[in-house]
Amino acid sequence: MLKRLIGIATAVATISSMAVTAFADEPYETYSYDNWQDPIPSQAGYMVEKTWTGHDLGLDELSNPESEFFISNNENPNLNGACDIYVEDTTRTIWIADTENHRILSFNENFELKGCYKSIDGAGVKNFNAPKGLFVEVNAEGDTILYVADTENSRGVRLKITGPLTCELQQEFLKPDSQAYSAEAFTPSKVSADKEGNVYLIATSVNTGALRYDKNGEFKGFFGANRVEQTAEVIARKVWRIFASEEQLEAMVSTVPTEFHNFDMDQDGFIFTVTESANASTDAVKKLNPAGVNIWNNAKGNTYQFGDFAWGYDESVAKSTKLTDVVVGENEVFNLLDYETGRVFQYDKNADLLFVFGTRSTPSEQEGSFTAPNAVETLGDKIYVIDGIKNDVTVFVETVFGKYVHAASILNVEGKYTEAKPIWEEVIRRDGGYTMAHIALGKAALNAGEYKLAMEYFETAYDQENYDKAYEYYRDEFLRANFEIIVIGLFVLIVLILVYGKLKKKKIIAPISAYIAVGFMKIKESLKKKPKKEEE
Amino acid sequence: MYEFTTLGWLKHVIFHPIEGFEDLRWKKKGSLGLSFFIVFLLFVAMVVDRQLKGFAFNTAYVKVFNVVPLIVQSFVYFFVWVIGNWAVCTLFDGEGTLKKICIYSAYAIVPYIFGVYLSTFISNFLVLDEAIWVNFISYLGLGWSVVLMIQAMKAVHQYSFTKTLVSIGGTLIAMLLILFLAVLLLSLFQQVYVFIYSLYTEIAYRIRG
Repeated sequence: MLKRLIGIATAVATISSMAVTAFADEPYETYSYDNWQDPIPSQAGYMVEKTWTGHDLGLDELSNPESEFFISNNENPNLNGACDIYVEDTTRTIWIADTENHRILSFNENFELKGCYKSIDGAGVKNFNAPKGLFVEVNAEGDTILYVADTENSRGVRLKITGPLTCELQQEFLKPDSQAYSAEAFTPSKVSADKEGNVYLIATSVNTGALRYDKNGEFKGFFGANRVEQTAEVIARKVWRIFASEEQLEAMVSTVPTEFHNFDMDQDGFIFTVTESANASTDAVKKLNPAGVNIWNNAKGNTYQFGDFAWGYDESVAKSTKLTDVVVGENEVFNLLDYETGRVFQYDKNADLLFVFGTRSTPSEQEGSFTAPNAVETLGDKIYVIDGIKNDVTVFVETVFGKYVHAASILNVEGKYTEAKPIWEEVIRRDGGYTMAHIALGKAALNAGEYKLAMEYFETAYDQENYDKAYEYYRDEFLRANFEIIVIGLFVLIVLILVYGKLKKKKIIAPISAYIAVGFMKIKESLKKKPKKEEE
Repeated sequence: MYEFTTLGWLKHVIFHPIEGFEDLRWKKKGSLGLSFFIVFLLFVAMVVDRQLKGFAFNTAYVKVFNVVPLIVQSFVYFFVWVIGNWAVCTLFDGEGTLKKICIYSAYAIVPYIFGVYLSTFISNFLVLDEAIWVNFISYLGLGWSVVLMIQAMKAVHQYSFTKTLVSIGGTLIAMLLILFLAVLLLSLFQQVYVFIYSLYTEIAYRIRG
C-alpha cells in the first residue's frame, strides 16, 4: 500500500515536473563527465524557477515616499552591477551588494524587501562606495552582523543592523600598516568571517592570500596564498635565471601566483577558494583547513579537477574557464560559478561532479543564461546566481532527478551504499548514462558480495580501480570454489608433460615443433602450387 | 651439424643470441615468408595489446578503434627500419642485403611479440597489485629482442660491436628522416589534391552555369 502511494506520488511529481520542463525548457545543454572526461548528455538537476529584476524585488519602494523603505526620490529602482549575493542560513535572509548603486539590500527568502543600507551611523566616511562583497552572521545575542567590503572606500566594515534602513559601525578594517603589505592600493573586494570573529578580506591584485584581521581590526597576516602555476614560460624563466647577470635579473619579471578571487566557509571552518585566472589548473579550487593548508592538493597524488575538461557543448564559447565564485551548501555540496561560460558546476563532498547548468547569454538571451554572472549562493534546494550586467537574480530549483541524485549522493558520501541502492536504481532509470550511479551501485553489489555484478557496473562506468578490487574478490572466490579441479588439472598436466618428455627421448613420438614445422611446410607448398596452376 | 627446419632455425637463433645469427648466415638459411608472417604477428600483437588487455590494465581509449596507428606501429616502423638500416649500412661497408636485413630483423623481434601476447594474456587473470608480472614479461621480451637485434645486425653486416651500435643509431636517424619526408610528401599531395579538386569544382560550375 505504502509502496503504491509512493509510486503515485512520484508519478504525480514526475508529471508536474515534466509539465514545467515542457513549458520552460532550459536554454542550455545539461551534461556530466564520464570517466574518460568526455561530456555526456544528462538529465537536468536544476531548472530556472524565476528571474528577479529590480522591479520584481520591489526596489521602486525605495523612491516611493509612502513606503517604509523610502530613501530618496531618485533612488535607482533596478540593480546595477551587483557583485555579491549572500544567504544567511539561520534567518533565511538574502543579502545583495548592489555595487554601482552603493547600497546593500536585504530580503527574506521570498525576495520581499526587508532593508536597504546606504550609510553607516558612527563612521567617519558614512556612505558606501561601490561595495563589492558582503558577509552576514547572526551573533549569540541575536543581532544581525553585516560585514561589507567597501571597495572604493578602501576598507572593510563590521556593522550591526539596527533597523530596515539603519546600521551602526562596530569596526573598520583598514589598509594594513605593515611591512608585509607591499601594494600601493587597498581595494577589498570580498569579505568573510569565521566563528572566532576573525575577518578575511580579499584585496584586488594582492596575490599573497587573503588578509586576516582579528575582531579588533588588527592585521594578523595573510592566509592561503596560491602557488605559482608551472607553465612552460615559468620554467623557462627559472632556467634563464641561472645564467642571467644581476642587471638582467633586475630587469626580469618575477613570477607571481595569481590571487584567488573568491571564497566561502563551510560549517567546519574549512575555507573554499577559487582562482579566476583563465584556465588556471594549479590551485584553481582549494579547500583550506584553518591552518591555511590545502587539502585538495594535487601535488600529493590526488587528481581533483574542476570546471570544464572538454568542449563538447557550446563550441562557440571561447575555450577558457574562469571560476569566479564558490559556495558551500548543505551536506558539503558545493557549487562553482564559471564567469566565462555562465555555468554552475555542482560537486558533492568528495569533489565528484553532480550537475552542470546555466549558460552564456550569447546567442540565447533567455532565463538561465548570463552575461556577467558575478556570484552564486545556495539555500536549501535553490541556487541563486546574480548577474551584474543583466541586473537580475536567477533562482534555480532542484528537479525531481536532482532530488534523487542528492539524496543518493549524501548516502554515498557517508558510505551507506546499500541504503542508497534503490535511489541510484531510480537515477539510472531516469538517466542511464549517469556514471556516479553505476559506480555507487557497483559498490553496493561489492558490499553485498555479488562480485560479478559489481564488475559489470564498474565496467559500464569504466572505473578501472574499483573493477580491479571487485575482480580480486571474484578471483579469490573462484579459486576457492574450484580448488580441487585446478589442483587435479595441474597434476594431470605435469604428468602429461613428463610422459611426453620420456616418449620424446625414446623417439616414440616426434617433438611438437616438428609437427608445427610440417604443417608450416604444407601451407607453404600449397601457396607455391597456386601460381603454377595459373601459369598452366 | 645444424640441420634444422625453418622453425628450427628460428628457435635456434632465439635461444642462441651469441652465435645464432652467425650460424644462420653461415648456413645461408632464413625464410622471407616466415619473416613477413612474423611482422603480421607483430601487427596482430599491437591490436591484441590494445583490445584484449585485462580491463584494469588497459589504458587505451577503447571507445574508438582506429587501425591506422597500429599499422604504423607495426608494418610501417618495421619496414622503415629495414630500409633505413639497409640505406645506412650500404654506405658503411655492411654486407647485408635488403632481404637478409628483413629476415634477421624479423627473427630478432620474436621475443618481443611473444612477450606482448603473454603479458596481454596474463593481464586478464591478474589484479593491479600484481602488475609487476605483466611489466616484467613485456620488458623481458623487449630486452631480449634488443639483444637479438644487436646480434642480428652484427652478423648480417659482419660489423664489430661498436660499429653495430653506431649503425643502429644511424638507422634510427634515417628512420626519422624517412618518416619526416613521408609526412611532408603526404601533406604536399593533400595540397595538390585540394588544388585539383577546386579546379574541378570551378570547371564543373562553369559548365553547368
